[in-house]
Amino acid sequence: MEGLAWLAAAIAIAFLVLIVWSVARKGASELNLDLLTKGPAVTFLSTAKVGLANAFAGTIVIVGLAIAMALPVGILVAVYLNEFAPASIRNGVSLALDVLNGVPAIVIGIFVYGLFVLGHGQSGLAGSFALACLMLPLVARSTMEVLALVPNSLREAGLGLGIPQWRTTLSIVLPQTIGGIVTGTVLAVARVAGETAPLLFTSSIVGTQTSWNPRHALQSIPVAIFELSESPDPADHARAWAAALVLILFILFASLGGRWLATRSRTRMLSR
Amino acid sequence: MPKLGHPIRTLAVLAAVAAAFAAVAVGAGAAPARHAGDTISGAGSTFVSPLVSTWIPAVGSAFGYSLQYSAIGSSGGINAITGRTVDFGASDAPLTPDQFTACNGCEQIPWALGATSIMYNLPGVKNLLHMDGPTLAQIFLGKITTWNDPAIAKLNPGVSLPSTNITIAHRSDGSGTTFNLTDYLSSVSPAWASQIGKGTSVNWPVGVGGRGSSGVSAIVGQTTGAIGYADVAFALKNHFSYFAMKNNSGKFTTPGSRGILAAASSDQKPASDNSLSIVNPPAKYPNAYPISTFTYVIVPLQTSKAADLKRFLFWAVTKGQAGTYTAALRFVPLPKSVLVVAEKAIAQIHS
Amino acid sequence: MTSLDLTDAARRPFTGRRVRFGDVSLQVVAGTAAAAATVLVGLIVWKVVDGARPAISHEGVQFVWRIAWNPVLGREVFGAASFLFGTALTSLFALALAAPLAMGIALFLSELAPRGVRAPVTALVETLAAVPSVVIGLWGIFVLGPALQRYVEPALHSVLGFIPLFGPPGSAGPSIFTAIIVLTMMILPIVSSISRELFLGVPHELKEGALALGSTRWEMVRGVVFPYARGGIAAALILGLGRAVGEAIAVTQVIGGGVFIHWNLFDTGDTLASKIAESFQGAASDLEVSALFYLAVILLVFSLLANLTAQWIVWRVARAHGISRGGHA
Repeated sequence: MEGLAWLAAAIAIAFLVLIVWSVARKGASELNLDLLTKGPAVTFLSTAKVGLANAFAGTIVIVGLAIAMALPVGILVAVYLNEFAPASIRNGVSLALDVLNGVPAIVIGIFVYGLFVLGHGQSGLAGSFALACLMLPLVARSTMEVLALVPNSLREAGLGLGIPQWRTTLSIVLPQTIGGIVTGTVLAVARVAGETAPLLFTSSIVGTQTSWNPRHALQSIPVAIFELSESPDPADHARAWAAALVLILFILFASLGGRWLATRSRTRMLSR
Repeated sequence: MPKLGHPIRTLAVLAAVAAAFAAVAVGAGAAPARHAGDTISGAGSTFVSPLVSTWIPAVGSAFGYSLQYSAIGSSGGINAITGRTVDFGASDAPLTPDQFTACNGCEQIPWALGATSIMYNLPGVKNLLHMDGPTLAQIFLGKITTWNDPAIAKLNPGVSLPSTNITIAHRSDGSGTTFNLTDYLSSVSPAWASQIGKGTSVNWPVGVGGRGSSGVSAIVGQTTGAIGYADVAFALKNHFSYFAMKNNSGKFTTPGSRGILAAASSDQKPASDNSLSIVNPPAKYPNAYPISTFTYVIVPLQTSKAADLKRFLFWAVTKGQAGTYTAALRFVPLPKSVLVVAEKAIAQIHS
Repeated sequence: MTSLDLTDAARRPFTGRRVRFGDVSLQVVAGTAAAAATVLVGLIVWKVVDGARPAISHEGVQFVWRIAWNPVLGREVFGAASFLFGTALTSLFALALAAPLAMGIALFLSELAPRGVRAPVTALVETLAAVPSVVIGLWGIFVLGPALQRYVEPALHSVLGFIPLFGPPGSAGPSIFTAIIVLTMMILPIVSSISRELFLGVPHELKEGALALGSTRWEMVRGVVFPYARGGIAAALILGLGRAVGEAIAVTQVIGGGVFIHWNLFDTGDTLASKIAESFQGAASDLEVSALFYLAVILLVFSLLANLTAQWIVWRVARAHGISRGGHA
C-alpha cells in the first residue's frame, strides 16, 4: 500500500515537472528585451519585431490600482471585525467574505461588466475593481488572522494608560500587524496577477499602443496570453510562453516572498 | 518589548500611502488629457480586421489621432456599439430589426467587400480541390466524415484522397463569417436550412470551436484533415489551401478579386437598411465566388466624436479601398453604387 | 484559521467605557467598510439573478434539464443540461484523479520522503500553485492536448473501448479528457498543500503511540493519520471541487465546445463557466445574454455550495479538535 502512495507521488511529481519544464524551456527561448519594449503587430501581414509592452504596462497599472482599492478596505474590514464587531456581526460579515471568496472569477467579470462597463465603456479601472473584489477576502482574512494574534495585553495596556481605543488600534495594534498585512497583500496579488476571466469583459477591447491611462481599456498579460494561445502563428505561441514564464516568475516570487514574510512576522509575534 | 508607535506618525504614514495611491490613480487618469479626437475605438468582425489593421498606421499619419480596433467577432461588435462601449462596431452580418432597436439610433454602412474561404489542412494533397455547396453542407452536418468519401472524390476526379478523418473547425463566438457561411449553406442545402438555419451563432452538429478567425485558423493549422472557414486573408497569411467552390453556373471559383467582384455585381442596390446579399448568386454571374459578402460598420447617428468618425469613415470607403490596403488581403474596392449609398449614410452622422 | 476561541470579554476589554469622538469615527469608517463588503456580495448575487430573470421567465425551470443552445433568430431555445453535464463530468473526474495524487504527494512530503527530497518537491508543488489558469490552458493546448490525442486516447480506447467513456478518440486535441487533466493539474496543488499541512499537524503522540504498539508505517498512516485528518481532507477535496467547477479560462481553451451530452470522454464538450466565457461578449440577443446569466446563477449555486460546505467542515473539525485538545496551545 505504501508503494501506491509512492506511485501516486511519482506520477504527480512527473506531471509537475512536465508543466514547469515546458513553460521554462519554451518561455526561455523566446525571452528577450523586445517582449517588454515593443508593442504587438499593428497590421495583419506585418513582419516587424513585436512584443507585449502594452500588456506589461497594463498589468502593472491594473494590479496596482486593484491593490489601492482592496488594501484599505480589507484592512478596515478586518479592524472592524476584530476590534469592534459583536460576535453576530462578525460571523455575518465573515460569512459574506467567504461567499465572496467562493464566487467564480468569471461571474465577478460579468458582474463588473453589468455594473461599470455597460453604457460607459471598458477601462482599466473596471478591471482593477474586478480584481479588487477577488483580493478583498484574502486581504481581510489574513489581516484578521494577524490582528487576532496581537496579544490583548497590548490593548489592555493602552486602556490602562488612558489612551482612547481608536489611538490604541491605530498606533499600537495595527503597527504590529504590518508584516502580516504585507504578506496577505502579496499573496492576494499573486492570486490575481494571473486572472484572466475578470478582465475578459472589463478591459479587453484594446489597441496595440502602450497606455498607462486606467480610464482606457488596458491590455494585460493574462488576457494577452489567452489571445495569443488561440492564434495560428507559432511566433505568437512563442511570445505567449515567454509572457507566461515572466508571469509565473513574478507570481512565484510574490508568493514565496509572502510566505517568507508570513513565517518571519509570525515567529516575531509569537516570540513576544 | 513591543514598540509603541507614535499615533500621529502611524496616521501620517497611512495617509501618505493612501494619498500616493490616489495621486497615481488620478494622475494616470488625468495625465494624457482625454480630448475627444484622441482615439477612435472600434470592435467587432474578425473578417474585416486584416483590412482595418492596415488602416491604423495610415489613419494615424493622415489625421493625427489613433485608431484602435479589437477583433472580437461581429456579435461582440454589435453588442459593444449597442452598449456604447466603443465608438464604432463592425459586423459582416447585417443587423436584425431587434438589434437596430436595441442599438437605439444606429446605422449600418457597407465599408468593405470580401469573401469567406473554406480552408483545409491536408498536407499530402497539393492540387486545388473542388467542392460544391450540397457536399459542403453534408460535411458540416457531420454526414461526410472522411476525405476519401465518394462525394468528395466525385468532385475531384483523378486526385488521390486519403482516408483521413474530417475535423470541422467552426466559430465558438458570435461571428459574421459564420453568418456568411450558414447563409450560403442554407441557400444550397434544404437539409441545412431546416436543421440548422443561418445566424452569427448556430447549433453546430459536429466540430471543434475556436474563438475568432484566428482560433479557427489555429485549429485548422494544428489538425490534419481539418476544414474551417474564415476571411480569405487568414488563409493567405497561414498558407492554408482553400476549396474552389462550384457556383450556380457550374464553374469552380476561388475567393479572389474576380470571383468577389462578379458576386458583388449580383446585388448593386443596398436595401433600406443599407444591407446587401451576394451569397450564392444566380447562374448569370458565371465567375462569381458564391461565399462572398459585404461587411458593415455600425455607428450611432449621434455621437460626440462625429467629426473624427466621419473623417475616418469617408477615408475608409474611398482611400482605404485602394490597392495598397486591399489587394494583398483579397478585399475588393466597393462598387460605385454601394459607395454612393455609403457616403450618404456617413454624412448623416452628427453630433 | 483564526484563533477565535478567545471569549468576547477577554478580547474586548473596552465595553462599558466612555465613548469618544475618535472611537466613533474609527468604528464608523471601519464599519462602513465591512458594510460595503457585505453589500458587495449581495449586489453580486442580486445582479446575476436580476440578469437571469428574463430567461427564467421565458425558459422556466425546464432550462436546467433541457439540452439546447440555439441562438438562431426564430429558433431561440436555451438550456443548461449539456453544460451541467460537462461541468459535472470534468470536475468530478478531475477530483477523482487529483485526490489520490494529492494524498500521495502529501503523504510523501509528510511521512515517506527522505529529508533532502522534501524541500525541492514542496517547492515544485508551490510552483504549480503559482501557475495561473491561462498558462495551464496554454500548456493544455500545445503540449497535453496533442499528446493525449495522439498516444493516450487510442491506447485507452483499444484497451477499455468497451466502456462508453473511452469511445473513439477525437481527431483534434480539444476534448473533455484534456479538460479533465487540465483541471486535475489545477486542483492538485490546493488539495495537496492543505493535506500536507493536515498530515503534519497530526499530533506526534498519536503517531508514535501507534508505532510503539507495533504497527507498520502504512498501518499508522491508515489508522491514525487518515482518520485524524479526515475532516480536513474532505474540506480540501470539496474546496478543490469548487475551484474546478468555477474554472472558465483553462477549460474553454481545451474543451472544444458543443451542445450535447456525449459520454465519450474523447469528444468535445462544454461546461457552465466555459460557455459563459465563450459566448457572453458575442451573445446574439438579449435573451441569450439573460440565458448566460441563468447559467451563471446555476454556477454560483454550485461553487458557493462547495465553498461553504468546505468552510463548514473546517469549522466543525476545528471545534472538535479544539475541544479534544482542551483549550488552545
